[in-house]
Amino acid sequence: MSDVVVSVYNLVNQFGLQRVHDQLCLEIQRGEIFGIVGGSGSGKTVLLHSILGLRHPQSGDIKVLDQKPMCFQRRPSRDIGVLFQGGALFTALTVRQNVELPIALHSKMPVSTRRKLAELKIRMAGLSVSAADKYPSELSGGMIKRAALARALALEPKILFLDEPTSGLDPVSATDFDQLIEHLKQSLDLTVVMITHDVDTLSQVCDRLAVLVNGKAKVGTVDSFLNDDTPWIQRYFHDPRMARALSGRIRE
Amino acid sequence: MANVEFFTTGPRDDTFTVRLQGDWVFENVETLEQALNEVQPGDLGAVEYSCGGLQNIDIAGAWILFESSKRFEEQGKQVDFVGFRAAHFKFLKQITAINTDGQMGLDAPLEEELHGVTDAIAAVGRHVVDLVEDIGFITHAILDGIRRPSRIALRETIRQLDVTGLKAIPLVALIAFLIGVILAYQSASQLEQFGAQIFVVDFVTDSMLREMGVVLTAIMLAGRSGSAFAAQIGVMKLNEEVNALRVLGLSPNLVLIAPRVVALVIAMPLLTIVANLAGIGGGLVIASATLDISPAQYLNRVSEVADLKTLFMGLAKAPVFAVLIAAVGTLRGMQVSSSSEDLGAKTTLAVVQSIVLIIVVDAIFAFFYSMFDL
Repeated sequence: MSDVVVSVYNLVNQFGLQRVHDQLCLEIQRGEIFGIVGGSGSGKTVLLHSILGLRHPQSGDIKVLDQKPMCFQRRPSRDIGVLFQGGALFTALTVRQNVELPIALHSKMPVSTRRKLAELKIRMAGLSVSAADKYPSELSGGMIKRAALARALALEPKILFLDEPTSGLDPVSATDFDQLIEHLKQSLDLTVVMITHDVDTLSQVCDRLAVLVNGKAKVGTVDSFLNDDTPWIQRYFHDPRMARALSGRIRE
Repeated sequence: MANVEFFTTGPRDDTFTVRLQGDWVFENVETLEQALNEVQPGDLGAVEYSCGGLQNIDIAGAWILFESSKRFEEQGKQVDFVGFRAAHFKFLKQITAINTDGQMGLDAPLEEELHGVTDAIAAVGRHVVDLVEDIGFITHAILDGIRRPSRIALRETIRQLDVTGLKAIPLVALIAFLIGVILAYQSASQLEQFGAQIFVVDFVTDSMLREMGVVLTAIMLAGRSGSAFAAQIGVMKLNEEVNALRVLGLSPNLVLIAPRVVALVIAMPLLTIVANLAGIGGGLVIASATLDISPAQYLNRVSEVADLKTLFMGLAKAPVFAVLIAAVGTLRGMQVSSSSEDLGAKTTLAVVQSIVLIIVVDAIFAFFYSMFDL
């Protein structure tokens, strides 16, 4: 298998007259934490949905682990875990049941094993077991993200997709979450693809970035984007918040 | 000398000065605007606002000041601000920036009119396309369920059967009973004139079995379950739960749509029978209470009137209505996107459209029944 785990070639997505992606190309390498940034309306979530097969793009070729997007397959692979923006936990199920559901769908292991495995994943995501029997409506924002992460990790994925994992979290929880992701990535050999606006996450955690501008993706590192002269990228990477985040990185 | 409360005016050399005082704040905007509009600098070439005794100024006050200065500038006068503290000027600068930034587009009345016409044509086309898409979507969903019936979520089906069927019994029975009462009263007042009260039983029984039982049940369920379907699935859409299902390899068709369609198709005929019985019961109560028809006589007559054919003519519509309600409700739910406002609109649409469809389809049934002399 090649070292490219996700490849997007000449992707075109269009809503009415508005072309969100115009021949967008992108390659994500095995084992990296890959950030996707862009202004609002630049098509970050649409790109994620296209990669997952949740929407049919107008044209373009997408391969994930050398296969077509998961939702277009007859039986979606276990190799992909997704953390949606709002968590997207099933509200009718407890946290434990949420994590057990994908396991039950993909394996015939006995119920007791399944329960224990789900508990392990919940603990791995940094939640206490006491939270396992709560319903999503009883959880705080940070706990919902962690429970959703536990569900995303339920099937031992090779690639983890995160849609704004730290949005809506307070700075301390966000930093914790970043560290959790980095820790999991190293211990589980994951490739992580995340949409994020969090400048701290971008500067501290991401190995490479794709910036979506004018329907295309520009791929590079934070340092390479600092010298980019595209106006939007200039503004984004020389924003005071970004400067503060970057100075924090140097101090460490 | 104008309004002494907020400013004093007067010429000085060749400059007209406005000396501000008091509180130029939100509460006083109305008075300020009126007072400033009355200021007439005459033919002096320059206007000078001086801070003077100004105590407080906020954005609203500064805006009024700015508007008045703009009026004088348009008259070709030179405008100057003197003695303002930095804090005051910060406000004014902000306002000037907003005002010069927001240049609006020009009016284009002809183009707008053309747009009106083309938009209307496009809207008709879009409706047709939408309709075809809707029918395609829901047909695909139902076929999905028919093709893989073993993969329809069983537990969800049973839960829906409980919620839409069992729990609807009291409501359906109550409404049908009351309709039976109304039918009996209405027919009695007419039939009494001919001394043919016994035909009240025929009227109530026949109309409950043929029409009222099933149509009432359908309308109750459209309001009760159709809206619930749209809202439940709509919230799941907004919450990205539907996407999460698909990522796990679960088809929303089999997990969300098919269980609701199946549950309603099973529940509707049963509820229709409940409605039929309750309606006939309503008639019985009125007949025995006010019409000198004993319950035994009433039931005797019912067993003569109500044959299987009449019963099935009503019941045959039940599954059709069930599919309509479930299809429209789940479809509109799946179409919810982006906002809670959309959720409300789609839920309303689900109820309105299913009720309209029920009546239309009932009329079609009536047409075919009469064509075949049933």
